[in-house]
Amino acid sequence: MNYFVIGFYALLIGSSCLAAYYQKRSLFLLLFTLTLVCFLMGIIGGQPALWFVTVLAGIIALAAGTSYAWREFLVLTLPRDMSRALKTAPLTASFGLFVIFIYAVMGIFAPVIAPHGEAEVISSAFAPADANMLLGADQLGRDVFSRIVYGARNTVGLALAATILAFFIGAIAGLFAAVRKGWLDQIMGRGADVIMSVPSLIFALLMLSIFGTSMLVIVVIVAIIYSPRVYRLTRAVAGNVVVMDYIEAASLRGEGTGYLIRKEILPNSTAPLIAEFGLEFCFVFLLIAGLSFLGLGIQPPTADWGSMVRENATLISFGDVTPLIPAGAIALLTVAVNFVVDWMLFRASGLKE
Amino acid sequence: MTDTKEKKKDVLLKVRDLRIEGYSDEKWIEIVHGVNLTLHRGEVLGLIGESGAGKSTIGLAAMGFARDGCRISGGTVEFDGMELTTTPKSDLRALRGLRIAYVAQSAAASFNPAHKIINQHTEAPVQYRIQKRLQAQEDAMELYEKLRLPNPTEIGFRYPHQVSGGQLQRAMTAMAMACRPDLIIFDEPTTALDVTTQIEVLAAIRDIVDEYNTAAIYITHDLAVVAQMADRIKVLLKGEEVETADTDTMLSSPQEDYTKSLWAVRSFQRPQRSRPKGDVVPVISVQHVDASYTSGEKVLDDVSFDIYEGMTVAVVGESGSGKSTTARCITGLLPPSAGKILFRGEELPADYHNRTKDQLRQAQMIYQMADTALNPKVKISEIIGRPAQFYGKLRGAALKSRVDELLDLIELEPAKFYNRYPPELSGGQKQRIGIARALAAEPSFIICDEVTSALDQLVAEGILKLLDRLQKELNLAYMFITHDLATVRSIADEVVVMRRGKIVEQGPKDEMFTPPHHPYTDLLLSSVPEMDSNWLTTLLEERGVDNVGEAANAK
Repeated sequence: MNYFVIGFYALLIGSSCLAAYYQKRSLFLLLFTLTLVCFLMGIIGGQPALWFVTVLAGIIALAAGTSYAWREFLVLTLPRDMSRALKTAPLTASFGLFVIFIYAVMGIFAPVIAPHGEAEVISSAFAPADANMLLGADQLGRDVFSRIVYGARNTVGLALAATILAFFIGAIAGLFAAVRKGWLDQIMGRGADVIMSVPSLIFALLMLSIFGTSMLVIVVIVAIIYSPRVYRLTRAVAGNVVVMDYIEAASLRGEGTGYLIRKEILPNSTAPLIAEFGLEFCFVFLLIAGLSFLGLGIQPPTADWGSMVRENATLISFGDVTPLIPAGAIALLTVAVNFVVDWMLFRASGLKE
Repeated sequence: MTDTKEKKKDVLLKVRDLRIEGYSDEKWIEIVHGVNLTLHRGEVLGLIGESGAGKSTIGLAAMGFARDGCRISGGTVEFDGMELTTTPKSDLRALRGLRIAYVAQSAAASFNPAHKIINQHTEAPVQYRIQKRLQAQEDAMELYEKLRLPNPTEIGFRYPHQVSGGQLQRAMTAMAMACRPDLIIFDEPTTALDVTTQIEVLAAIRDIVDEYNTAAIYITHDLAVVAQMADRIKVLLKGEEVETADTDTMLSSPQEDYTKSLWAVRSFQRPQRSRPKGDVVPVISVQHVDASYTSGEKVLDDVSFDIYEGMTVAVVGESGSGKSTTARCITGLLPPSAGKILFRGEELPADYHNRTKDQLRQAQMIYQMADTALNPKVKISEIIGRPAQFYGKLRGAALKSRVDELLDLIELEPAKFYNRYPPELSGGQKQRIGIARALAAEPSFIICDEVTSALDQLVAEGILKLLDRLQKELNLAYMFITHDLATVRSIADEVVVMRRGKIVEQGPKDEMFTPPHHPYTDLLLSSVPEMDSNWLTTLLEERGVDNVGEAANAK
């Protein structure tokens, strides 16, 4: 027993007692369960296990603090409408926004931030981290940190382009089908079914081996694979709007399809579409990372998180964390985007607790 | 109801200084400001007021329930000695359904469409272990019989969509009765029904409440209805009580100005105009029109009538009689299968796609539900400005001054409403915007599809006056679709009575409202509730209990 262990338990027990005294039921239950679990962990894992818990709690507290500060910062700086919406946002959404913001900065200013070029060999293979290389070197001796920063630009940029294109195709087709109905709707619907019936990864691999692996081809193919989902959602959402009286009033006025879509339907279906955009972005992002991992995505020496995981995968058997860093970057972005999407869905649906 | 007076013993529900807050714009705003209410066993209390007066909120609070975004912030609700505002949720749940039941406005929306009616009925008694399932089913059939539903032993085994609206509303009342509660809250149970069906439901509700000595709170905005149902009436305005009195006292001598204005609403009447003399071509002439939806049965059968300039033709009938379908044929949304529609003597193409811009401009429409008729994401200035821009090719300053002019015309201040969105407006204001949109096209003929039926009486009267003024100023022809005969009486020049896709009778209003009528017209006219607390009783005596509503209609 040293001071750390004593202090650790004293803090836990003390705070659970305080929670119980002030009748914070759920907080008390959480804290006291944690105390009991920590007793068990202390017995089994000893002091290192307790350190692990402390660090984890510290990270969560840090993330929560950052999210809180970030939210307040956004509320103060953004224009009125947006800051009002953000005021009620949960901390998770603020955390997601923060991560997305950091990634965006990383991607946009990659050449400024990264200390070395993405293809620059600066040391021996698998060199450990030092003052020059924050996260060590990869299998060819390139700086992992620089490649992560450039990877943000390549992988995220590519996924963003593909998602936007998918939305462009899918949403326009969906809106058109909802307004026109009839045989056009049927043909497009069945076409979407055909694309959706082929497993996406296999379809992508097939197309990429036929057309080669240039950036443009990847974007177009991924967009085509994902546009049917967008099409279906848009058609369903717009289908509910099209039956409204104001659409009838507009068509009786003699308005054309373009006006109906642009002015009457689109403004009433943006909320679910934006939420869907976030979700689709995650899928597209994972698909592109998966393609890179399989060697058919972005080609070396261009830095990309998916291929970075693959290239360094052998290190995992030596107990090194290097391959987990790009994997973690992928995971963090996916989680962050989902946090934001959850919040948007919540707002769009008008649900309350 | 002398019987109930003897049965009436103790106080069942006592609400004191009830305050309810609603959450909007990140603030809690008080919407009910200290209402008191006392209800004895077996007594029926009518809550009346316009929408937004807090009727429903108070009704729900009587169950200890606050809607999403609302909370009970003060006062007490004492139900049979139990304080509901402080009772834990689990205890409240045990109370609801068992001792307090609720009947909602739209039975069609409140029944689960995926289960049979009787299974939904027996859920509560089985859940509370009052009765076994079979026992509960027998009890349900007995209640169905008491509520005069046809085939009481069989009707429960149908799905909600397989029975009519009036029957469904009675089935819902039966369901509320399933556990023989002490208190039932009726939230506008007949508002969505036709007059002929309404009688049936009213009679059924009144009898069953009487028989089981159940106390009830009857929420409605229709004075004539509440006069039939309630022992006492409480008038509400903006979350505050205006006055309370016995039904007869309230009807004969209302004290407050607001109550008097409510009572006087139906007084608006406009002089009747007659057709222009000589050889004048009608604005719209519907000639022998047949129509059907996708090769089904005929929904319109040989419909013909004329509408002359500056006149209002009211098309009357219950739901399903083909009123709205006629309007769809005239606008070209549903091309008729036979017959033609003439506009100032010229035949209009059947499908609106084939009509010219000018033909489309001439006939405009005002919708029943202003909520769905106005795009919630478009500014008022654009909603009204678009037709002017589209047909009149107005731009910039000319467009703006035209929008201002239109807003002035519908008595809304341009500066205040120019940049607002439809959801920020009240129901009456929205309906006015709908009218302005129709006027912006400078039409000569407007179809008004139940324009006042979703509005409170005071607001509805304002809309009717506005429409009348506009007709005089702009010499418009109206086709007025409605099931409310009071509206017909106040605004129509000619009346067309429809039933099952056919025209039963048509002619000038004064002739239509004086006997002899066609039997169906007679049924419609006599089914409109009157401001007399004995009206329903007298009517039932005249016609006999089994000869009202759908039963009478079938003959």
